[in-house]
Amino acid sequence: MKEIKVGVSGINAVDNPGPGVGVAKSVKEWNPNAKIVGLAYDPMEPGVYMKWLIDKSYLMPYPSQGADSFIQRLLYIKENYGLDAVIPTLDAELPIYIEYAQRLKELGIANFLPTKEQFRLRSKEKLTEVAQRIGIKAPKTFSVVDYPSLAEALKEVGYPAMVKGLFYKAYKVYTYDEAVEKFNEIVAQWGYPVLVQQVVNGEEINLVGVGDGEGGHFGFLNIKKLWITQLGKIWTGVTIRNPKMLSAAENFVREYRWRGAFELECIYTPEGDLYLIEINPRFPAWVYFATGAGVNLPARLLTAALGEEPPRDWDYEVGKLYVRFSDDFVTDMSLFQRISTYGEV
Amino acid sequence: MEKLKRLAINEEGFAFDPETGNSFVLNQTGLFIIKLLREGLSEEEVINRLLNEFEVDEETARRDFYDFLEQLRILGLIDTKEG
Repeated sequence: MKEIKVGVSGINAVDNPGPGVGVAKSVKEWNPNAKIVGLAYDPMEPGVYMKWLIDKSYLMPYPSQGADSFIQRLLYIKENYGLDAVIPTLDAELPIYIEYAQRLKELGIANFLPTKEQFRLRSKEKLTEVAQRIGIKAPKTFSVVDYPSLAEALKEVGYPAMVKGLFYKAYKVYTYDEAVEKFNEIVAQWGYPVLVQQVVNGEEINLVGVGDGEGGHFGFLNIKKLWITQLGKIWTGVTIRNPKMLSAAENFVREYRWRGAFELECIYTPEGDLYLIEINPRFPAWVYFATGAGVNLPARLLTAALGEEPPRDWDYEVGKLYVRFSDDFVTDMSLFQRISTYGEV
Repeated sequence: MEKLKRLAINEEGFAFDPETGNSFVLNQTGLFIIKLLREGLSEEEVINRLLNEFEVDEETARRDFYDFLEQLRILGLIDTKEG
């Protein structure tokens, strides 16, 4: 296959890893001639030093510094090294990529991203609406902005309850005092509103997929996390086929004409009900699981980004085991010096 | 029995639920009982087969059988109304 240069972010393969390394592995398995361009936000992101996988790395400006410097940086990379496509994987940078998706395409940087409207569906305020539309349930959720509405919502859902930020942070609380503490914590960090959500008991199951933007998709992988870290990150998992979840995912891509990567997180109750708890508009950190199980979703997304038709078969085997493990290696300090000084290595 | 039927069970008694990802390890007796339940045998028929197969008196067989059913129920492998 011909050489192609693909920008990948989220190469922070740490205890709360980004999806970048999994995406890079998937792309290289599909096309050994692909060059991976690591888009890092910190010189210490391990991917920067994983030269066998990430061929060249650049420090990116934070998205909060504004779109101009961000896009300029991508153009600099394109001119100086080459950049045929990007697969952004981090929530915080997605709004810029989505806003400038068309512009980047015109500049020769292919991408395959959800629309702005689709991106907004990730807000937990939208869960009930989305769940209804795709034929499953959502936990009772209340949006609260002060102590009286917090107390009112807690009365409705009972204890334990989940106290969550709109996009980040989620705490299980058992008392009103605990709820107030977490409410304040979320407000201080993320602002209003805060969500109070019913706790649904059951098995958490997840699904990763790539929508084609026209109501179809380029494959799904349905999994159950078997063992998670203290940060809640998957360490081992297994492929499953939950008919309700697969049909909800089919409905999701059809109803919203979803384009690009997504992850759905659900709770499957012993009664057989499925509750939607989270929508992520990007690949999850465990995306390599799909590739290992025979459905190379990052490669398919990239193929679609490049304007070609990817395969659509996704007949993976149930009972494939995913194992994450810690590893280490030794490299030279000069790499750190170069990325810190010049912003690239 | 729908949930029991969907389990993938190997000869060593390792059972995997392809819809939830849960797995269970069955001992020889548990495996024996689940196989018969999946074949659609009634509770009385299963107890009779236990009496034929194992050296056990009826009271013990009956008690162990219902204990096992209760465990399956707790694990969500049979519905509350079943059994």
